Amino acid sequence: MRFLEKIRDYTRISGFAPIGRRYFIKNAFDGAMTSLGIVVGAYVAGDPNPFFIISAGLGASLAMGLSGLVGAYVTEEAERTRELESLERSMLKDLDKSVIGRASRFASLWAGMVDGLSPALAAVGCLAPFFLFPITFAIQLSIVIALFVLFLLGVFLGKVSSRNVFLHGMKLLCVGLILTFILLAVKTIY
Amino acid sequence: MIRRLVLDVLKPHNPSIVDLSKELSELDGVEGVNIITYEIDQKVENVKIILGGSNIDFETVKKKLESLGAVIHSVDEVAAGTRIVEEVGTPQDKSARL
Repeated sequence: MRFLEKIRDYTRISGFAPIGRRYFIKNAFDGAMTSLGIVVGAYVAGDPNPFFIISAGLGASLAMGLSGLVGAYVTEEAERTRELESLERSMLKDLDKSVIGRASRFASLWAGMVDGLSPALAAVGCLAPFFLFPITFAIQLSIVIALFVLFLLGVFLGKVSSRNVFLHGMKLLCVGLILTFILLAVKTIY
Repeated sequence: MIRRLVLDVLKPHNPSIVDLSKELSELDGVEGVNIITYEIDQKVENVKIILGGSNIDFETVKKKLESLGAVIHSVDEVAAGTRIVEEVGTPQDKSARL
């Protein structure tokens, strides 16, 4: 309980909540779109192989996860260190061991985790059908899951901005549909 | 034993004075806290903290404030003992103002 309270305090002090939301939505969107691209791309290529789709999908998830984890951590850490040093100059005091220093380190670490885990989780969720079902059904289900994840992310955005959640859901869903149609059009052309 | 402590404190905007008051009110010997912001800068703010209690430990208060990123500028008033003695006006105060 004390641990959760601390996390809440650090989130409030570091002002991480809106940044975390941005990281989460942007990267989960990336993850869902990437897996959608891989699945539809594999279908377009013809003779889809579940092993190939799972390997490509997991490889992309791992790459996005690691890139997000490291990239967001080092970026956030650099920015927050700069902010902390600026505050230390105003306070004429070392704040490293204060709650502000701890909140700053927490925010950097948390940013890395959100940035790394959100695309990886979205991608793994979209690829899950390939572990359970035959290839044709798995492709259809995976596309539906990816589009549903995009819709949910839009709904979440709508909720955050206190606007029409359905409209926001449909906006992100349309982006997924555009990607799907472009890839299917490529198949028709060739 | 300290019964009342008035501090002039410089603090960053976060944690807020709401958080600060909660943290200080949980200290042993502190029974009440009042915090007033009297100056706000771009990154920091000056606040007056008034602590009341039965046995306030100044070092504990100082450490708590430091752990929250705040700095004590000055100790503006201390009341100690079994009874709180209020400030009284004297002719010297008037001449000091002139």
